[in-house]
Amino acid sequence: MGNAKLYKGSLSTIILKLLNEHEKMYGYEITQKVKEITKGELKITEGALYPSLHKLEAEGLLEVEVLKVDNRLRKYYKLTEQGTQETVNKLEELERYIKTMRALVNPEFRFD
Amino acid sequence: MELSERNIENLYQFTRDHFVEYYDLQTELVDHLANDIEAIWEQEPNLSFVNAREKAFKKFGVYGFSDVVIHRERAMTKRYFKYLWRELKIWFSLPKIIITLALSICFYTLLVSQFSEYFIYIFYGILAVWCTYKSFMLNRNFKKKSKASKQKWLLEDLIFKQAGGFGMVLIYYNINLLNSTTPLHQTKYLVIVISVLLSVTCLLAYISLELIPKKSEELLEETYPEYHLQTT
Repeated sequence: MGNAKLYKGSLSTIILKLLNEHEKMYGYEITQKVKEITKGELKITEGALYPSLHKLEAEGLLEVEVLKVDNRLRKYYKLTEQGTQETVNKLEELERYIKTMRALVNPEFRFD
Repeated sequence: MELSERNIENLYQFTRDHFVEYYDLQTELVDHLANDIEAIWEQEPNLSFVNAREKAFKKFGVYGFSDVVIHRERAMTKRYFKYLWRELKIWFSLPKIIITLALSICFYTLLVSQFSEYFIYIFYGILAVWCTYKSFMLNRNFKKKSKASKQKWLLEDLIFKQAGGFGMVLIYYNINLLNSTTPLHQTKYLVIVISVLLSVTCLLAYISLELIPKKSEELLEETYPEYHLQTT
């Protein structure tokens, strides 16, 4: 995927948004969900996903729950209260970014 | 097709072989690989476990797990400092602030006295000896505990092995600060600042080498929900 760099800066926002819509998710599930929603256009690499998840966890935006599923342990991520608030901020930031980019690439587009 | 207990054990060994030392990260990566292997088997049911495992591992890129490990260590160090900061804040709110103030006043009195130079040497001498002794003891106890248990936890490693180094760094920066600010008796406000800094140094050394190691079980349970599952 050639546009991976464009998405890289938004990875935390993508994770927060997904967790805002689902009560809890585990790493592999996040990669598959993104693939499904974007119809394969965006594939989150394992090497990028876990560092982002661990960073968000260290910042107190995510909390974890570990459950035994089948014959192994599974680590689920959930939004904390602070994480829910941060999701709103991050999504607003992303919206502004998209608007700016749209204005730059499409001169006919105007800010309200 | 689901992975067997033996396959899961093999995946734990696989992560260890690829330099993932810590159990918390091993567990997460094992589940990820297991999910991917199961998905691969749905597409290619005849693929062997080892080949499916290699296929799943390749998705981590040319550096394998190393990026994940490095970032996990960074994130956990941040968390360790958060715990340290949480404990330190307690000493700046009632009732413990009284002890902090008393300590600072005591340092101030000694720093403005005629014995200030001797005091500084004695202070750093005692602190260095104590930090070295505590680090040695913590390391020894940690090695014993690690031998008894199969699992290594990153936070535990930071609490028991890195804390000693942190104490030494504190002493080093304090000595540098004092070397660049003598003579002390000429600047009253500076002496106040240094007295508070010395108190903070003592508190940080005490928190990192005494308090947090004592609370390690509590902190490990707070950090790792699976810790309880593995130790009971």
